[in-house]
Amino acid sequence: MGDNQEALAMITDQAGRLLEDAVTPQRLKSLLQKPGSFDRDLWLQTVGLGWAGAAVPEEAGGFGLGWEVLCALAGHLGAVTASLPLIQNTVLVDALAQADCGYSAVIEQLVSGEAIATLALFDQGDNGISDTPQLVYGSSGLNGVTAVAPFAAVAGFALVHALREDQSQPALLLVALDQKGVKRDLRNCIDNARGAAALDFANATATPVAVGDGASSLLMRVAARAVIATAFEQVGGAGSCLQSACDYARERKVFGQPIGAFQGIKHKLADIYADIEIARGCALDALAALESNPRAALAYAAAARVTAITAYEHAARENIQVHGGIGVTWESAEHHYYRRSRSLALELGAAPYWRDVLVDHVELLAEGY
Amino acid sequence: MDFNDSAEEAAFRAEVRAWLQQNASDYTEPLALRQGDPRIAEMGRSWQKQKAKGGFAAISWPVEAGGRGASPIEEVIFAEEEGRYHVPVGPFVGIGINLAVPTIRAHGTPEQIEKFARPTLLGEILWCQLFSEPGAGSDLAAVRTRATRDGDDWLVNGQKVWTSWAHTADWGIMLARTDPEQAKHKGLSFFLVDMRSAGIDVRPIRSISGESEFNEVFLTDVRIPDSQRLGAVGDGWKVAMTTLMNERASAADQSQSLPDVESLLAALGEQGRAANTRQLASLYAREQGLKYFGLRQLTRLSQGGNPDPISVMSKLVYANLLQDVSALGLDALGLPGAFAGRENHEAKKFQYGYQWSAALRIAGGADEILRNQIAERVLGLPGEIRSDKGVPFSQLPVGR
Ligand SMILES: Cc1cc2nc3c(=O)[nH]c(=O)nc-3n(C[C@H](O)[C@H](O)[C@H](O)COP(=O)(O)OP(=O)(O)OC[C@H]3O[C@@H](n4cnc5c(N)ncnc54)[C@H](O)[C@@H]3O)c2cc1C
Repeated sequence: MGDNQEALAMITDQAGRLLEDAVTPQRLKSLLQKPGSFDRDLWLQTVGLGWAGAAVPEEAGGFGLGWEVLCALAGHLGAVTASLPLIQNTVLVDALAQADCGYSAVIEQLVSGEAIATLALFDQGDNGISDTPQLVYGSSGLNGVTAVAPFAAVAGFALVHALREDQSQPALLLVALDQKGVKRDLRNCIDNARGAAALDFANATATPVAVGDGASSLLMRVAARAVIATAFEQVGGAGSCLQSACDYARERKVFGQPIGAFQGIKHKLADIYADIEIARGCALDALAALESNPRAALAYAAAARVTAITAYEHAARENIQVHGGIGVTWESAEHHYYRRSRSLALELGAAPYWRDVLVDHVELLAEGY
Repeated sequence: MDFNDSAEEAAFRAEVRAWLQQNASDYTEPLALRQGDPRIAEMGRSWQKQKAKGGFAAISWPVEAGGRGASPIEEVIFAEEEGRYHVPVGPFVGIGINLAVPTIRAHGTPEQIEKFARPTLLGEILWCQLFSEPGAGSDLAAVRTRATRDGDDWLVNGQKVWTSWAHTADWGIMLARTDPEQAKHKGLSFFLVDMRSAGIDVRPIRSISGESEFNEVFLTDVRIPDSQRLGAVGDGWKVAMTTLMNERASAADQSQSLPDVESLLAALGEQGRAANTRQLASLYAREQGLKYFGLRQLTRLSQGGNPDPISVMSKLVYANLLQDVSALGLDALGLPGAFAGRENHEAKKFQYGYQWSAALRIAGGADEILRNQIAERVLGLPGEIRSDKGVPFSQLPVGR
């Protein structure tokens, strides 16, 4: 454990410095300009440092630093609005390892970062995970179109939620994306830097990872883990917004005083601080629950997600507001956060869905006390 | 609102519909141009002219001023019907109609009114608003752009910023400092500037949407005849107040290519509506309340009143409502707000609304400033303690 803590501190420390240096505003802006953009250079650089395998258990070929390191790295990514598929790769490796049947070649590629994963768990137009997925897996393979998923534009493998035709049961499928039956649909959107695409399957080859009840429970495991790590990414982004807003509020003088001297600004920033700390608290609780109370992990994840969405949205909006006219220029970095707060709020299911999950499971949280 | 129409209103609506069918047929599809494209302003000019010909250019203005002398309800009916088309309306025309002309009418000489009011109504003059500067936004009275007297003219030097549609404007309304030895609100004067004057340099600024609607404007020895001063020397602040009141009262009604609760309901579909009932109910109530609030303000204006200080509430509520509606709309349409099987135009509306609302919460008076105004001018609460009261402008540490 002591060794782990040291390794964890080292890797996250290094992450902070690397990202500060490498993720320049110009780089981010160029990514925002065309659909499905992905910073492959940064990915390769971080893969070289072992980030893709940092959280993966040693028996699966990783460094075994656990979810804690993934969450810490996600926080650093969020703080600078960098987009890397760390969460996607780690979560897919975990899902495949749970299913325990011969995915070692795929796992190896994901741990080394040679391949990129995407979690395509949603149907188009859905706010959350559906009990009756629209995609169909049958004798002719996988058919249908997923909702847009981050990194689907560049991923080698997707985890897909579909209905298994012969058994009329939901299934989780592993799909290798470089095949004839797969089309990636890229569109201009509010946050083009996520490497996002919808996946359009036509008789695609796929392998069931889990079916029926097994699929449902695995799906919830995947969703909870992705949501928790993403909450750290969101809190990281919100924290940067607050910092930027406070810096500007100290510096910008209006009516002969720094705008931070006005209560209208002070109270706004104090409220954002409170939102962020609440979200951070929920995220840390959820991370701890993965070990201490796995039965309730989904409920904790839901609380983390709902509060993280609120905090990031609030911080991103008001950071622009505090900056005045400067905040709505392309040159400023504030809109990077405004965009990212929206895309992260959507990618794993929107707030209303997770609010319902939270309400449905709230007694599990109560048991924890 | 159709079902609320009185018999006359219904007749007017029918007349408007028939006229639009005849005249707006070029505008049944969304414009395929980027925001800020000068061609939009040119289209706006011709559309304005066409409306003027049809008698619909300034429906609730008095007949003497070239308007129709009709009721504000009719103004709203026209806007509703016009809003079914993708007509080129926006600040490129609106600044002239809603800001410049009302200000000129309130403070101008008969010659100035004669020269500018009607041509603006006809789309012959497009305007921009040269108020804000790098060190003077919320604190507008801190403008530093300097106008010095030179015979019958003024010589102007300085820099304006965030000037919407300066790149297509023929004329600008400008606030400049004529006497730095006076207290900051006292040493200002108001000018009408020919944007083709020598010494004006307009440079585009890219906004968060990646498009360029606003600009920096540099003024170097720009010569302005004294006949283009609006109001007395030193009365610039008073004149500018008229502009700002009108700006804040009208800022909420530019909703053409922007989403509203109706578009949200359509985008959400049955499942999405069920998941968001409470939020939808509160958004809808806000939207309706705002609409009726706006109607009451319009009634005041049509009866010859000045915009009420409370009219600033329209923009404050609208910009925030738009941000909420747009965010929920993007959620409803999934990440790109634009995926297979979805109407692309709808998706664009929400994306644009999401970006524009962030700007609108700042443009024409930021939220915080409007809240202060409501608190102080409507609720009668005391103002913030000011260090700059009565101090000559030249002795203030202004801006950054
Ligand atoms: C899209 C857009 C179009 C525009 N078009 C034009 C135009 O055509 N012509 C023109 O002249 N200007 C235009 N503007 C400028 C606009 O009027 C200013 O941006 C606005 O007044 C804010 O000024 P600022 O940007 O300098 O922000 P600042 O004044 O620096 O304000 C920064 C922040 O401090 C807050 N703040 C300031 N004072 C207080 C206080 N006392 N209490 C609490 N909070 C306070 C503000 O609310 C804001 O959140 C436009 C702006 C935008 C965004």
